Amino acid sequence: MAESAAGQAAEKTTLRVEDIHKSFGSLEVLKGLSLDAGDGDVIALIGSSGSGKSTFLRCINLLEIPDAGRVYLRGELIEMTKTKQGETRPADRKQVDRIRSRLGMVFQSFNLWSHMTILQNVMEGPVHVLARSKPEAKDQAMALLDKVGIADKAGAYPSHLSGGQQQRAAIARALAMDPDVMLFDEPTSALDPELVGEVLRVMRQLAEEGRTMIVVTHEMGFARDVASHVIFLHEGRVEEEGAPDAMFGNAQSPRFRQFLATTRN
Amino acid sequence: MDVVLEYRDPILRGAGVTILVALCSVILAVGFGLLGAWGKLSGSPIARRVCGSYTTLVRGVPDLVLMLLLFYGGQQVLNDLGAATGWWSYLEINQFVAGVCTIGFIFGAYMTETFRGAYLAIPRGQIEAGIACGMSRGKLFRRILWPQLARYALPSFGNNWLVLLKTTALVSVLGLNELVRESFVAGRSTRQLFTFFFVALIIYLILTAISDVGLRWLERRYSVGVRRS
Repeated sequence: MAESAAGQAAEKTTLRVEDIHKSFGSLEVLKGLSLDAGDGDVIALIGSSGSGKSTFLRCINLLEIPDAGRVYLRGELIEMTKTKQGETRPADRKQVDRIRSRLGMVFQSFNLWSHMTILQNVMEGPVHVLARSKPEAKDQAMALLDKVGIADKAGAYPSHLSGGQQQRAAIARALAMDPDVMLFDEPTSALDPELVGEVLRVMRQLAEEGRTMIVVTHEMGFARDVASHVIFLHEGRVEEEGAPDAMFGNAQSPRFRQFLATTRN
Repeated sequence: MDVVLEYRDPILRGAGVTILVALCSVILAVGFGLLGAWGKLSGSPIARRVCGSYTTLVRGVPDLVLMLLLFYGGQQVLNDLGAATGWWSYLEINQFVAGVCTIGFIFGAYMTETFRGAYLAIPRGQIEAGIACGMSRGKLFRRILWPQLARYALPSFGNNWLVLLKTTALVSVLGLNELVRESFVAGRSTRQLFTFFFVALIIYLILTAISDVGLRWLERRYSVGVRRS
């Protein structure tokens, strides 16, 4: 997928990420990572811890500023610039804010705003970032909470919800922005095992509805069944990528085979 | 008792001035405190050093000395400067302004630590969630940071406020007619110093009691969504 699209107009892809490099101090964690997502693609980023998959995801919406590389959303390049000290910075903060509002993010630890009810959490972005009217945002928020199955918790504060409920609320919050792409950063890793299923069900439903999703995950079952494309990272590089059937059925790289063997247990 | 009633008006006016000094000072202190906390937390080494010196310096000197320095010393410096440049003839620093500035400046240093600690207590993830949904810096501050900053800062802010309220008594040495000075004047002219300072004491006690109620209300208001423990 990446090869065939390379060189063509970036407008065709919903999200295009090219050649991302990132170092923390002297440690280079991302060594030139790229990714292309078309409409409705579900891309699973997998790899052992420390492989750079979360950092890579956070570079897409600039929660981490990559040292080098380009991010295009529907053909629009996020403009970067260099400071005098040689650090990379976004050139136009307004552009970054606008693009971030079109990339919905779901975090490992939910990160719901604890001083707002669930309903207020979901309405916050539409009302205060997209400047929608409150009644409209409320109707939409209630519909989304209903969709993720926690409409009855609308008036509750996050601390009164289980982890699974909080994560579903966080998904509703991200959906409320009607984003072009959803970014999931290990959305089930902080959950008790019995709560993982309810979150994965919601994500599976989103995939079936044609949401474009980039998912960092340890859930191999999800990657295999739901993803349209799987990328296996190892030490900041793409070690192997392809369609899930081919990847999981006939792993090429020894490292990926070894990774599969350890995660199966 | 009659003698107190006779001096009711100046004493109440004095109490009003005390409240006004305290309120103006606390607003200034919050401003200095937010600025100081921002500086201490910022990436700029210069801002960090300036704000670090500010808190170290202020916390290391007596309030009274700083106040006298600013009021008498500051006035002298200003007038020397005016005479040297010929831009102004004679300036007098207003006691109210000098008092508010000094107290605001001093308590700004304590507020700096209050706000710095409160900011560090806000879960990073909630800030990231705000950034990730495209909030501008201003929105992020108003919608996400401030409500939580207020919650974490309130207990320490409450302490600072009570100490600040009592510190306003020092402004009496500058000759501002606030509660202590009015009580002193009344006490001296009636030779009833005990009575009038006792009255002042009670008024301070009433003010702090009201503050306690207000602070508790604020704490309730800003702790929504937090499990009671």
